[in-house]
Parts: sequence; structure tokens; C-alpha cells
Amino acid sequence: MIAVEFRKQIKRLRTYIGLGICAGLPIIITIALKAGGPPRDHGDTEAAFFRLATKSGINMPLAALSVMSLFLLPVVVMLFFGESVSGEAGWGTLRYLLVRPVKRARLLAAKIGVASVLAISGVALVILTGLAAGVLAFGWHPVPTPSLVVFSQGEALSHLLIAAGYVVWSFSGAAALAFALSTMTDVPVGAVGGSMGFVIVSQILDGITAIPKGVRNWMPTHFWRVWDGLFQLHADYGNLIRGTLHQLPYVVGFALLAWWWFKRKDILS
Amino acid sequence: MPAPPIQIERLSKRFSEDVLAVDRLDLTVEEGQIFGLLGPNGAGKTTTLRMLVGLVHPTEGGSKLFGETVRPGVDVLRRVGTLVESPGFVPHLSGMANLELFWRAGGQKMSEADLDGALEVADLGNAIERKVKTYSHGMKQRLGIAQALLGKPDLLILDEPTTGLDPQQMREMRDLVRSIAERGATVLLSSHLLGEVEQVCSHAAVVNRGHVVATGTVAELMGSATTVYLEIDDLARAREVLGKLKGVRAVNEEGQGLSVELEGIDRKDVVAKLVRGGVGVETVMSRHRLEDAFLTMLEDGAP
Repeated sequence: MIAVEFRKQIKRLRTYIGLGICAGLPIIITIALKAGGPPRDHGDTEAAFFRLATKSGINMPLAALSVMSLFLLPVVVMLFFGESVSGEAGWGTLRYLLVRPVKRARLLAAKIGVASVLAISGVALVILTGLAAGVLAFGWHPVPTPSLVVFSQGEALSHLLIAAGYVVWSFSGAAALAFALSTMTDVPVGAVGGSMGFVIVSQILDGITAIPKGVRNWMPTHFWRVWDGLFQLHADYGNLIRGTLHQLPYVVGFALLAWWWFKRKDILS
Repeated sequence: MPAPPIQIERLSKRFSEDVLAVDRLDLTVEEGQIFGLLGPNGAGKTTTLRMLVGLVHPTEGGSKLFGETVRPGVDVLRRVGTLVESPGFVPHLSGMANLELFWRAGGQKMSEADLDGALEVADLGNAIERKVKTYSHGMKQRLGIAQALLGKPDLLILDEPTTGLDPQQMREMRDLVRSIAERGATVLLSSHLLGEVEQVCSHAAVVNRGHVVATGTVAELMGSATTVYLEIDDLARAREVLGKLKGVRAVNEEGQGLSVELEGIDRKDVVAKLVRGGVGVETVMSRHRLEDAFLTMLEDGAP
């Protein structure tokens, strides 16, 4: 079933575009930095990664990750999850999948598996193309970080790997919502738009300091950027663990909702 | 004695407070029948078929396929080929890839499928390797039937299989359904096209407002009412004579003549009375068709 789903999804235009953006943007950023030089220091972490990107090629995937992880990567990930069931309904193929002796839970599991592989591939492409382009453009040097600590190449790469894994996982709550919405609608843009709306609202509310901290801390996007704590003198694993656990209730809740809804759903598409 | 391919008991589906799509529907389809589910649009045919293959959950009652209670994904669906409403394919893949993926999604190997037989039915030639989004409606419909036949099903369920086809393609579809039945499969076919059911089916049920109004062999259903078309030389006198005749249910003007609904009286007796009444009869044409029976049954079955 997973092989069937994978073959269906991998040859889609939206997959090419999504993965193309993930692969292409780090290269474009590298070319821009090579041609125009690093940006001025405004004191924020995102800009700091850019400023330091020219010091070592290994900083380039970090710069790409920092600029893409708040909006562009979530859009790509929500696209993979939000379109997986609703896309089938839109084609009219969902009913033909379900007139086979296939349990609905098994179909959902296969779809989640394939969407997860595509989401991981997207983040992996950002890292790999960023690393390749960065090293080609700026060399293989020790890695200075925004906290002024210089990491060895091996140390930086291991932290980069953890950061990439964390970024993928940090999207899981919103991705689970996209998937749940995908089982509820036959219009893919509804599921993708709904989940992105959820992400944006969460980011906005998280940024309003007038809202009590206890509430803001529960926003699904609250811990999205804590991976940059890995690139300090003493890596901040505490926030990373909190952020990892933070996604669990969202993932479990929305995944159960998707399963419950789809099991009861009348297939009318 | 083996269980019938289809057994539906008190099947109901209520979508909302106001929408009762299927209302305590009972139906049995025996092995080898080509069974027509006949009804106007919105009668509940498609909802019934969707419940029959586990796509829609019944509100009440249930159905069995070959004796096994229908639930989503139940194993007996291996024995069933289905075309529901319209064919659906992954548009960016070829016809062949779609057939393969459809089959493998059921956890079965391609070597178990009757691919050659399906390709023969699809009759798409080299176009089978083209992306489905380039296909015409007729090509998709044929591929849909081919897909339903991949597993050499014992039961074939077809929902409005000739929708959108041209007359030549409709004829081919009817021939195909007959040939499938000749191979031993049972066929359940829904349609709002009376001629289609009349020409293809051995048995039929007339469905209206979610329940069965009448069921039986097509010949039995056609026997429930008869209409005759008469061309005569004096319309007014003919109306007068026919108005006094017992067994004449209705007389309507139609073109140059009269359409006369009969019940319990033979055509020859009607013609004889007209002639004896001084009316010259030029043409007598039987309209002993399922259409008349269908409309009569719908009227009788209306609440």
C-alpha cells in the first residue's frame, strides 16, 4: 500500500514544486550572498545566521533553515499532508480505493507514511543543497555561530542534523491538523489553507505579549525556533525536549480526530 | 444452497433531518441475473449502491454480499467489481499505471489480475500508456469498466454505466454487460434510462423516493401497463367511443393520433369497438414498453 501511495504522490506536479522549492531556495540564497555579500548586523538570530553564512559553508543550511522554517517549509509540509486524502477525493479515486478490501485505517496509515517521507525529504533537501552550495561557495571551515562560539565542522554537522530533525518534528502538530482536515473535505486547498491559517494565527497570538504567557506557551508554534539554541556555548537541550513533547498532544489529538472522522465518513465524492 | 450475491434488508440512509435517501429498501439479486435498479434521478439508487460496497454507512438495516455482511473494506469485496457514478483515475498517470495501482492497492499481485481481459475491454490500444488526463469521457468509462473487471468478479456493480456515452458507445456497453453475464457473473446495474434496462436486464426493481415500488422480471414489470398509439379519421368520435370503454385508463392526443392507456382489455377489442362505432382506424402501434410501466408504477408508488 505504501509503495502504491508513494508512486502516486511522487509523480505529482505539487511534489516536484514543493521539493523543488526546498532544493532551490538554499542555492538561490547562496548565490545572492556570494554576489552581494553578507547582510548588516541587526542583532536578530535569523540575520546572524545569514551574516555568518559567508564564514563557513556549513552555516548556509542553517541560514536557509532559519529563513524557511517559519513559513515556506510549513506550506510545503501542509501541502503534502493536507492534500493526501482530499486530493484523492477530488480525483474521484478515493471511492475506488475503498471498494477494494482495504481497511480505512490502513489507508490512512499509508498516506501518513508517504506524506511524512515527503516532508522529511523536503527538509533534507534544504540541508543537503544548502550544505553543498555553501561549501562550494564559502569553503569547509570551522563554524562561527551567533553566540560567538566557534564549532568544529563535525560538531556543527551533528547539531545541524539534530536541528533538522527537530524542525521536521516541530511541524508535526500542524501537519496532523492538515491531515485531519484532509479527511473532512474534498477540496485540498481547504485542508492546506486551514492548517496554514492555524499556523499563522498561532504565530500571531504567540507574538502578542499582552496574552498571558501560560496561554502563549501552549501555541503549537511556540517552540518552533528553539533549535537555534543548539548553536550556543552550552546547547539548550531543555527547550528542545520541551518543544518535542509540546507537539505530542497536537499530533495524537489530530491523528485520532482524522481516524475517527474517516472511519465514520460516508464517501460521497 | 449458496447465498445470493446480493441481499438487502430494510436498508435506510438518512443524511439529515430532511433528507431520507433510502427508506427501508429490500432487495435480493440471485446468481446469474442482470438486475436493473431503475428509478428517476434522486431516487436513492447511487446511495444504495454505495452502501452495498461499504462506501456509505447505513442508518438502519444492512446488506450482504454472498452471505457476508457488508462493512468498509470487508474481504468479500474481492469478488466484486464496481463502477460507482463515474470512473475516477489519477490524472497524471497512464491508464496502465492506474490499473496497476488500483489492483495493488488491494494487496494483490498483478499476476492475480486478469490484465489481458481488462485491456481487451478497455480497447484503448497504445493510448493505455498515455496519461489519463488526455482521455475522452468514453475512454475513461471503458477504462473504468476494465478496472472493475480486473479481478474477474463474480458480481459486477455498475452505476449509470452509459452516462455521457454516444449511441455507438452505449450499444457497445450493453453488449459488454451481456457478455460479462454470459461468462457467469451477476450484474447489478442502476439506470434512469428505461430503454437500457429493458434491453439489457433480465430482472429489475423500480425505486422511487428511496424504496422499491415494484420488482420482478423485466417482462413482468412491462406487463403491468400497456399503451397503444392509434391514428384514426375522427378524433372526437374516437374519444367518445373510448370514453365509454371499460379498461381504458386514459386517452391523450399525441401528434396526429391518440395515445390510449389500457388495463385489462386487448388492443384488438379496442380497435373492434372503434370500427363498430364508426371510426376509421389507420394505424395501431403498441407502446407496451417499460417506460409506461415505469411511469405508472411511480405514480402508484407516490405518497
